[in-house]
Amino acid sequence: MSRIFHLSIIITTLFIIPTVSLAFAAETAGEYIDRKAEIWNLFFRMMTVAFVVGGVIAGTMVWQVWRFRESNPNSKPTEYEEKGEF
Amino acid sequence: MAHSNWAEWIYLGVVTALLIYVGAEAWNVERIIDHAPADAEIIIVTGQQWFWTFEHEDGTKEVGELHLKKDHAYKFEVTSIDVNHDFNIPEFVVLMDAIPGRINTVWFSPNEAGEFEIQCREYCGLIHYNMRAKLYVEDV
Repeated sequence: MSRIFHLSIIITTLFIIPTVSLAFAAETAGEYIDRKAEIWNLFFRMMTVAFVVGGVIAGTMVWQVWRFRESNPNSKPTEYEEKGEF
Repeated sequence: MAHSNWAEWIYLGVVTALLIYVGAEAWNVERIIDHAPADAEIIIVTGQQWFWTFEHEDGTKEVGELHLKKDHAYKFEVTSIDVNHDFNIPEFVVLMDAIPGRINTVWFSPNEAGEFEIQCREYCGLIHYNMRAKLYVEDV
């Protein structure tokens, strides 16, 4: 399950985001590039990446706090705690 | 205790891929935007407290207003004769510092006709707030 999750993150990053951004990029109608469209599209792409990174980092932290809480049935004492050294 | 760290490698891979993507995209867009077409008409833009002067290639000058043609390319050579200003056409995302003793260039091609604001975006003294000009884009 987690393999599929990580694989989907990689595929999304490498293929889906660039493809979607290309597909939705405003096309330049005239002979010259549309400066406004280029700059704002870059801004929106960068914001998408920034929020994806923010989401991954925040999600990782939430998962860690949840997974390694003391009351988690899966949590085990460390070897130091087992020996009573800590 | 045996453990694997493949998750960390994937995490690193994703972050590295995103950073490369961000850098490549930004570099590419900047390259596209900076490259002025060879047939762009050069307009000398001079800022001074507190108005703009525009000089066309044929020598005609305009003060406080600028007349351009739709779908033509224009390359601005921006300078100042007193303090730092900043030449800005918000509607077309044109922004370039006007620095005394220096010529900075920026180019664009207006793709819609109408009247647009030109303004100074660098605080340049008492009447900075009113250092504006009018851009007229004519559909010819």
